Amino acid sequence: MKPKFLVVFLKEFKETLRDKRSLGLLVMFTLMYPAMLGYILHQQIERATRPEREGIELAVIGAAQAPTLMAQLKQKNITVRDTRDMGEDGIGELLRSRKVAAVLRLPESFGKDYQAMRPARIELWYDSATEQDNRRRDIEDVLSAYESNIAGARLLAHGVSPAILQPVHLQRYDTGTNAARSAGLIGSILGFLFFPAFICGLSAAVDSTAGERERRSLEVLMAQPARTWELVGGKWLAAGSLAIIGITLELMLAHAILSWLPLEEIGMSWRVTWRDLALVCLASVPLSLFAAGLQIAVAMNARSFKEAQSVLSFVMLVPMVPGLVVSMLELKTADWMYIVPMLSNQTLLRETAKGGELGALPYVLTFGCSLLGALVAVGFASWRMKSERYVLAV
Amino acid sequence: MIEASEVRKQFGPVQALGGVSFSARDGAITALLGPNGAGKTTLLRALVGMLKRDHGSITIDGVDPEKDPMTVRANIGFLTDQFGLYERLSTREYLTYFGELNGMGKVPLRQRIDEVSEMLAMDDILERRSKGFSQGQRIKVALARALLHRPRHLLLDEPTRGLDVMSTRAVRHALSALRSEGCCVVMATHVMQEVSHLCDDVIVIAKGHTVAQGSPQQLCQRTGIANLEDAFVSLVGTDEGIAA
Repeated sequence: MKPKFLVVFLKEFKETLRDKRSLGLLVMFTLMYPAMLGYILHQQIERATRPEREGIELAVIGAAQAPTLMAQLKQKNITVRDTRDMGEDGIGELLRSRKVAAVLRLPESFGKDYQAMRPARIELWYDSATEQDNRRRDIEDVLSAYESNIAGARLLAHGVSPAILQPVHLQRYDTGTNAARSAGLIGSILGFLFFPAFICGLSAAVDSTAGERERRSLEVLMAQPARTWELVGGKWLAAGSLAIIGITLELMLAHAILSWLPLEEIGMSWRVTWRDLALVCLASVPLSLFAAGLQIAVAMNARSFKEAQSVLSFVMLVPMVPGLVVSMLELKTADWMYIVPMLSNQTLLRETAKGGELGALPYVLTFGCSLLGALVAVGFASWRMKSERYVLAV
Repeated sequence: MIEASEVRKQFGPVQALGGVSFSARDGAITALLGPNGAGKTTLLRALVGMLKRDHGSITIDGVDPEKDPMTVRANIGFLTDQFGLYERLSTREYLTYFGELNGMGKVPLRQRIDEVSEMLAMDDILERRSKGFSQGQRIKVALARALLHRPRHLLLDEPTRGLDVMSTRAVRHALSALRSEGCCVVMATHVMQEVSHLCDDVIVIAKGHTVAQGSPQQLCQRTGIANLEDAFVSLVGTDEGIAA
């Protein structure tokens, strides 16, 4: 004879696999989610490494009038594209297409003014919405260097030292690296890797409690010769095992993608072996069980699927809070972080990704804290189902 | 054999059961008559041990459902106004689920499902998923579930509601067969014709109290009214709207 919680578990599991909605969620979060993260990271790497690989494209109108300027631009690795005059709309269009960082226009009067030593006008057209400020600044630097060169030459011709015009010499040093800029984003992406634990079992948890209540089949079930902990336990394991399957597949896929991406380019490391990953997955099993237990304990009190879903969408944000707080306060990794479910998993993965020996304690604490939470949730749900007030409301 | 004596149950200020006493014999069909809100559902839930009574005693084959609900439930087939079907399971899978919950083995369970299905004439829906079942088909499936584990006691809440003539007859035949096997059937119903044709005993409850117990004939004699329906109304004591 099968134990009764196993009977309930097998039935709930089979029923969930027949539900297209929950299967869809499962597939989406195990396949789409890591793929999406991979794509975002890929974009980030692309963007971070682009300036080093290619020069700045600059469209110039009337380039022939200032050959020295063109030569200086080329020296600074700025590609000059000689362009015919195109009017304001044409320039705007060209900038929006992002083929060039900016457009430099030398009016026809430039040569004449230059010869006559009148201020010769040069127009720099740019689109501040395209976020190419760095490149624009490079171009402006060349322009001002060009300007002071000419000024210096003219002063020298009058017997004045050009140094007089330069009482201050400004030199800029940028210590920010691309890596530091993307580190924040990637940190939060790692945090979100554990989110599917709360999604993959959700549908099963809600359907087997609030859904069963809505379809008016819970009373029958509660009148069977099975204890409430057996009923709750079976439902909990069904939702939990879906979450476990989901998060394990998702972490494996994410691991494959992260190992494949050239993360070193943005100063991030993913020094995780398959053995490390297996340990992290194992330590995360209770997280899925905790999520399922929490969802069942909450959803069983709702009268309908919809009500349970809207309540749970708030509840599901709660586990994300510690992780967000820690990253906002920029706290250093401490042992207490391993006793907060979710945060412990995030911390564990982050520390593992950095490489280096962690020891057994973080794994044990991560495993234990979620398991404790799961048992408390299931205990509460069983107690609640036994209570008279619950029986009456069914 | 189900025996209840002076069962009382209070929910906050509401007295759901104010003193219900009756006994339902083995090998008999006992009708539970009472207007809506008389406390039938509460009584049935107390009988299977889902609710705890405040006062009085209940025994089912000598076992108190509060003390040993698992034994009692294993010995009761329970059909309430909630059918409890699962849309994504076929009828056979549904019956297997509840059979296993009642601790039935694989082979006897399969045999028993075929047996029950024949008894209720529901072979045609045995392999179908219950999505889209008619009311009658739903009741049949639920009834099959209640009969599945060969309980000695059946607690049925309006088992023939929504059934067509043929299905109603099938259900009545099944109940008669169960009676001759020695089952103790308690059936809440509102169909007087069914009571006078099928039931050996009638319990009338109103406002949480047992008003009368006896055979349909005894009830008619006691009230001095030949028609069972009129006798029932007179016992319950609310005949406004009917007398007019």
